[in-house]
Amino acid sequence: MKYASIKKENLNKWLEYLKKKARLYAPRKKENLFVFRPVKNVAEVCLKYIPTILPPKKYYFPQKEKLLKFSIEPFKTAKAISEFEEFILFGVHTCDIAGIQCMDVVFRDGPEDPNYLNRKDKMTIIGIECLEYCDQYANCASMANHVPRGGYDLMLVDIGEKFITHINSEKGERLVKGLSYIKEVGETEMSALERVREAKKKVFKEEFSAPLNKVNQVFNQGFASQVWEDVGKRCVACGNCTAVCPTCYCFDVLDDMDLSLNEGLRYRIWNSCQMDDFAQVAGGEDFRKERANRQRHRYYRKFKYPVDKFNRYFCTGCGRCSRSCMAQINLIETVNSLAAEVKES
Amino acid sequence: MRKPVNPERSRRAKPKVAFFDFTDCEGCQLQFANMGETLLALTELVDIVNFREIMSEAGEDYDVAFIEGSITTDTDVKRIKRIREKAKVIIALGSCATIAGVNGIKNRSPLDLAKQRVYGDKADTVNTIKAMPVHEVVKVDYFINGCPVYIPEVINVIKCVLMGKPYPVPNYPVCVECKMNENVCRYEKDQECLGPVTRAGCNSWCINYGNKCYGCRGLVENPAVNGQKDILLKYGLKAEDILNNFTLYNDSMGEKYDPEFK
Amino acid sequence: MIEREILLEKMKTSPYRPIKARIIEARMLTDKEKFFRIELEGGVDLHHQPGQFVMVSIFGYGEAPISICSSPTDKGYFELTVRNVGTLTDKLHRLGEGDILGIRGPFGRGFPIDNMFGFDLVIAAGGLGLVPLRSLIRYIMYNRNDFGNVQILLGCKTPKDLLFGQETKEWMRRAEIKFNCTVDRADPDWKGNVGLITSLIPGVDLNPTRTYGVVVGPPIMYRFVLTELLKKNIPEHQILVSLERRMRCGLGKCGHCQIEGVYVCQSGPVFDYAQLKNFKGECHEKAG
Repeated sequence: MKYASIKKENLNKWLEYLKKKARLYAPRKKENLFVFRPVKNVAEVCLKYIPTILPPKKYYFPQKEKLLKFSIEPFKTAKAISEFEEFILFGVHTCDIAGIQCMDVVFRDGPEDPNYLNRKDKMTIIGIECLEYCDQYANCASMANHVPRGGYDLMLVDIGEKFITHINSEKGERLVKGLSYIKEVGETEMSALERVREAKKKVFKEEFSAPLNKVNQVFNQGFASQVWEDVGKRCVACGNCTAVCPTCYCFDVLDDMDLSLNEGLRYRIWNSCQMDDFAQVAGGEDFRKERANRQRHRYYRKFKYPVDKFNRYFCTGCGRCSRSCMAQINLIETVNSLAAEVKES
Repeated sequence: MRKPVNPERSRRAKPKVAFFDFTDCEGCQLQFANMGETLLALTELVDIVNFREIMSEAGEDYDVAFIEGSITTDTDVKRIKRIREKAKVIIALGSCATIAGVNGIKNRSPLDLAKQRVYGDKADTVNTIKAMPVHEVVKVDYFINGCPVYIPEVINVIKCVLMGKPYPVPNYPVCVECKMNENVCRYEKDQECLGPVTRAGCNSWCINYGNKCYGCRGLVENPAVNGQKDILLKYGLKAEDILNNFTLYNDSMGEKYDPEFK
Repeated sequence: MIEREILLEKMKTSPYRPIKARIIEARMLTDKEKFFRIELEGGVDLHHQPGQFVMVSIFGYGEAPISICSSPTDKGYFELTVRNVGTLTDKLHRLGEGDILGIRGPFGRGFPIDNMFGFDLVIAAGGLGLVPLRSLIRYIMYNRNDFGNVQILLGCKTPKDLLFGQETKEWMRRAEIKFNCTVDRADPDWKGNVGLITSLIPGVDLNPTRTYGVVVGPPIMYRFVLTELLKKNIPEHQILVSLERRMRCGLGKCGHCQIEGVYVCQSGPVFDYAQLKNFKGECHEKAG
């Protein structure tokens, strides 16, 4: 089976089923925004949502993750987590799936990171395709992440009364097989899918003023641009942009002792290249002292360095950095100003 | 640098801990007293010899002194100097002690005027000097910011004292912790919040419970004052309100930000 | 080599778990720098290359990257020299013989020894830069016939800051290594040069195409020394540096050591000038 369909009225029944299979995380409302949370009540699951405050990376690269257990006397180390549990991420946007693919590339690149891979092995991804823009901050069409491009087990598309789901793995197939209310799709449904996709083409338009390969060239030339100074002046270095980014994975390592002062845990904790002392060394030299340098570094880590190294853009187009920036530093505007400047020169 | 107060971790050589308060509301000591079971666990590691809020004895022989409150009189100055002579380690506890806190508002007007306003015709009888954080008078070894202090941070600092290592107060803003807690940004709700320029370490305690950040932990070392000002202006605040926001806890001498905002 | 395989396997399956190690010798070299000789559990060799670093752990105090200052030809142990600058190093300074540490590594790319065989060497060390270079120098001494003329230029602030004083004298005597030292500020007993390390370079006689220039020191020093070496016409890929960055993981993940697109813990800490000059602005060590 390659495609299956489920009537919307049966969605909650399926969610109950999934909940029994593994720990289920899905988007739901928090005040005027959305967050991924463990599903307690399936009625709270919300499939029409703008990107959640934090991307689902918190489940495969947690904010504060145990690396090891230790004791000083006697000197002992042990794995902090002996077994990882199976989990399902439900209702993931294609931009966030692209984010997961990026993280995969990083943590599989040698030396591999077993902590990440252990979690990733237990993860099942059920995506949902957006048919409309979430809001004006997204640049997913420019990044070509507004359409599914693999990296998921199941992908849902809303065709009106039903969801069609693309089955992309055995893991995914197991979650739809043998259920009376999930059926193999027929021709009428496939043509409905075609129509939805056709209509979508009219909605999504490249958000950058230049095509992506041009954008990459722009970054090759834009290192000394005035744009970074302007962005740096506005930035307050709060670190929101990196925390909410689905492809930011910088971290710090810290020890936490229990009250015996003999045993403790070593953690890694999210850290941000926007912080004052991020690139400082013991002697005091700081290699990215100015906020302008740090913002530039962030952009280059999305549009240049990973492209050189992995042949992959690390901007997913989710728009979170712009959405969460109090200083209203906007990714689309920054990239477009850079492109305009390089064009003029 | 520092020697551990309790290098052998032996149960017998527990360091003696005392609490002293100066000009404050005693709320930080109350946080301590309310710690519950953790307080009992802590007494396994330290001997509390002087703590007015929980015990009647008042030992004068101590290794570690928690200082709550600002220094605001000549008598305070003499007293804190005496404590410094006795204690191996001094810990400034809470905003009043670390940044002069709310007491610092007094410094924003000339001392005579402030006295007049508060004490009226009795002003002449009152002995008072400018409100100072503890480290302006004596050397402070550890700083625990907050109004009131955040207990997990207090415990963390105590562990540092016992292990003889410094506690670097976070120099990144509250937003870092707030985002990790996945709170809805206060600016989304049109509230002006000092999170972006205030030192973290409180696990965004106030915002987690629906409040905003008042900057009680002091500003980060290198706050983007202009950037923050632009943000607040964009959200429709007047310069005077912004200054009031900034100076509820911070910059009591008006040295850093008055010229920026006025 | 079986032990090497075991070490590698351990690093691969649990790269964040330090291996137990014991300090077998510890002494102060100057007021600020302490020297440690360390033995891995079971007397296993570290199998490092000169120029690599390890992550040193003291549980409860954290972890820090530290250059190895012994040569892989020193068997059964390895050595570190540490300046007291932070929480971990402060605690490390309070440890002595018999105390236990955790070690991860070795990490990074060291000096390209194989390419350097048969070449003359000009080695310039500024202050603490002598620490990673000692690893290389000891290796050269052990394999003295594999290299041509060796000249060492050393600069430090005052005579009191001079590291490995006895040992440097021995290098001169035993291994036909030319050694020149200069201090920024002399004291009454100092009979050597006074002035910046750059002042020593014009006097160096070398055949540029047959020479490797190796420079390690504080950022400010690189700019001037590299300019001098380039003036001597040493080819860019034969000028080597080792860069100091504050790694947290050593695995090319945490981001702290990144210079533009490059993770120093993976691609460095040793770079040649041909690589260095490609950095656009975040590498303060580039020639001025």
